[in-house]
Amino acid sequence: MAEVVIPIGPQHPALKEPVNFRIIADGEKIVRLELDLSYNHRGIEKAAEQRNFIRVLPLLERVCGICSHSHATNFAKGVEEIMALEIPPRARYIRTIIAELERMHSHLLWLGVAAHEIGFNTLFMWTWRDREAVQDTLEEMSGNRVHYGMNEIGGVRRDLTPAQIQAALSRLPVLEERVRQYRQMVESEETLLMRFRGVGRLSKEEVLKYGAVGPTARASGVDYDVRKDDPYLAYAEVPFNVVTDTSGDVYGRTRVRVGELGESLKIVRYCLEHIPEGPIRADAPHTAPEGETLSRYEAPRGELAHFIRTNGTDKAERIDIRTPTLANWTSVAVCLVNQNLADIPVIVAAIDPCLSCTSRLTVVNRNDGTAGVITFDELRRRRDRQWDRQELR
Amino acid sequence: MTTISTITERLQGFGTAEQVRSNRVRLKTTPDRVRDAITVSQVMLGCDRLVTISALDHGTTFELLYHLIGPHRIIISLSVSLQRDHPSSPTVSDLLPPAGIYERQIHDLFGIMFPGNPDLKKIILNEDWPADEYPLRKDWKPRPESFYGGIKTERL
Amino acid sequence: MTDSLFLLVYIFLFPGFAFLILYAWALSFLDRKIAARMQQRVGPPFYQPFADFIKMLAKEVINPRGVDWRLFDAIPLVALAAVMTAFLYIPVTGASPLAFPGDLVVVLYLLSLPAVALFLLGWLSRNIFAAIGGVRAVTMLFIYEVPFFLAALTPALMAGSWSISDIVLWQQKNLWFVFLQPIGFVVALVGLQAKLERTPFDIPEAETEVIAGPWTELTGRRLALMDLCVQVSLVAGSALIVALFLGGPALPWTLSPPWLNALAGFLLFLIKTLAIILILASIRVATGRIRIDQLNDIGWKYLAGAALVQVGIALVINYLWVTP
Repeated sequence: MAEVVIPIGPQHPALKEPVNFRIIADGEKIVRLELDLSYNHRGIEKAAEQRNFIRVLPLLERVCGICSHSHATNFAKGVEEIMALEIPPRARYIRTIIAELERMHSHLLWLGVAAHEIGFNTLFMWTWRDREAVQDTLEEMSGNRVHYGMNEIGGVRRDLTPAQIQAALSRLPVLEERVRQYRQMVESEETLLMRFRGVGRLSKEEVLKYGAVGPTARASGVDYDVRKDDPYLAYAEVPFNVVTDTSGDVYGRTRVRVGELGESLKIVRYCLEHIPEGPIRADAPHTAPEGETLSRYEAPRGELAHFIRTNGTDKAERIDIRTPTLANWTSVAVCLVNQNLADIPVIVAAIDPCLSCTSRLTVVNRNDGTAGVITFDELRRRRDRQWDRQELR
Repeated sequence: MTTISTITERLQGFGTAEQVRSNRVRLKTTPDRVRDAITVSQVMLGCDRLVTISALDHGTTFELLYHLIGPHRIIISLSVSLQRDHPSSPTVSDLLPPAGIYERQIHDLFGIMFPGNPDLKKIILNEDWPADEYPLRKDWKPRPESFYGGIKTERL
Repeated sequence: MTDSLFLLVYIFLFPGFAFLILYAWALSFLDRKIAARMQQRVGPPFYQPFADFIKMLAKEVINPRGVDWRLFDAIPLVALAAVMTAFLYIPVTGASPLAFPGDLVVVLYLLSLPAVALFLLGWLSRNIFAAIGGVRAVTMLFIYEVPFFLAALTPALMAGSWSISDIVLWQQKNLWFVFLQPIGFVVALVGLQAKLERTPFDIPEAETEVIAGPWTELTGRRLALMDLCVQVSLVAGSALIVALFLGGPALPWTLSPPWLNALAGFLLFLIKTLAIILILASIRVATGRIRIDQLNDIGWKYLAGAALVQVGIALVINYLWVTP
């Protein structure tokens, strides 16, 4: 077949979120890739400039569902650094526990999605079953399965009761056993090895040159991990290892993520067993002094960077969010060239794309083509009108 | 052994450098010297990765910050100040390939031109977006007569 | 008169079309239920395939612009007719009344028509994903058909006949071919999994890569008929392997009232096809999908090689022991 343009997206079963790749393929080999990321853009950075610190935290949580705690914690710790505010140790430990539980649920989700991309639905069903245990723990602690709402400037909003800690600790042995089984399965299942080995290989130099972050980079032997490079929260006191691999292909990324699952379990167990007593929040001032900071955080997908500039008022003047998925797109475009068409979903899934993080909808009044912002009252009036019409029918 | 003091000293030639945090150095420089500063950071100061490019709107000027990091785990932030009308800064996407995506995004949202960037088309705003409106500027409000994308339907 | 009445009942009621469709739905349900339980899910209720068929028949048929809708209507019918006819020659309660020397070749030919039908559907769909899926279906046809035919050939070699009913008769007198030709049995099973386009060989309809492959533009009754075609070919393929390797619906001795013989044969047929379904469902659950170039490697290196070895062994055994 001659060169054809195959549109992958914006709606496609391989993608969990809308993104438009236009793949230019020659038979089954990919020649070129064009990228369009605008489908999930919601204008969050602009909205965050108009909200004070209390209101902006829930907004930033909703940048992404799977790494919601990462965004909120990163912003909170950045603002606390500008304010020179020290949060109590119990709050730091609670934030760490939630962060590592989030990492676990994200990696289990990824393992299932990667298995689904190669048609291995059994592993998909099993990992998502185990993810339920993590979600149950998170729901007990925070009241929600995603968007936990645990953070505020100065600490956390909810405490962990001893009963919750016990319940969480009792779920950990089952998860440890399952993670051990998954590690064994990943290393010995024949079709998984066939589809993942040698696919989407990036060498160490390429990773550094194209700026990949997170497990994508660590699979090629690059050992940047913000938890060790620039310790924040409780990571300076908790013993853990940074998991790297040398193969640099999708198989290496799978092994890194499974290894990180094991490490997260250890961190959660340590934090739950050694959590210090004390208050959970410090009194934070309403306004922040003038300053700026580059706050970095190891989200499940890689390094998340918030650049925060404050100007003495109670609102941030600029919040610049650089998500790990945005950093990884260049490397995807590079390693897709000359691969098979069948490997596209595997390679794209290997960076664990979170497009809601990448793009941040102006509301358009569709009925008369004008643009603007619909207020809540208008929405309510519109809904009532629609219901009246339905009743008349 | 590159410590933060050696970095600060080495970068003084390009502008004013100061240490703002235990592991971050901030250098204030101009658009025509920023490429040399990046090359020096890569070659002599051991920086091998670009963390991000941040852009800010100060009302009368724009500010671009390039954050670089290396195995020494020290962040070098290079700050460049641009004037308000026709802001432009030379591209660094040939020195640091990930800058391509970041510059495209900043161009979409702020309107800063990057001469030399091979592919400056829309990445984060949809293709129907009007050409000269830059949403993240402080003085931008959605205009009622512009069409920002989506589907036009008649009022039912 | 009774002869033609008997033939009509055989073809249309039992074990012909009516029984075939009901059994196809039953086996499809069992396959899905076994897979679901292995994946720790609940699985569908027993009437699910039937309910799906009725639902799909009731849905709107969408004709993409520029597509020849008459061909689109005809192709699923032809594919379904082919596999249903193929089943008539396979022994279900005893020798098939329609048997003739060479019906093995006819059955193998008819069972390969669905793949060609999928290719045609993909090609005619004017949809890039369907075209890619159709090309993959035909590429797969070239890869797995050779080992599968060779594996089906060896029982005929040893039994000395091209008729499936004669092969079953031979096994009744001597030994099941699964013991005499185990390699052929394995190759035939793998080939059947590829023919039915099930994981690890569901490459043409890989959901995450080409959406639905050649099935993308099938809607309404066309989808219902094509789905039924795949389910019926599951039954026909399993029944073929049972007849060729597992001795078919025959006990090692003949029971005295002929109706008891037929009943016993039928029960054996059910049990043996269920065993094959269990094996196929386990393979489906335990693996992921491989790529078409990897299938090329495996197909030509291992499957075809093993099948050739099996043919060689069968010829040697034939020469030395079977036809002295």
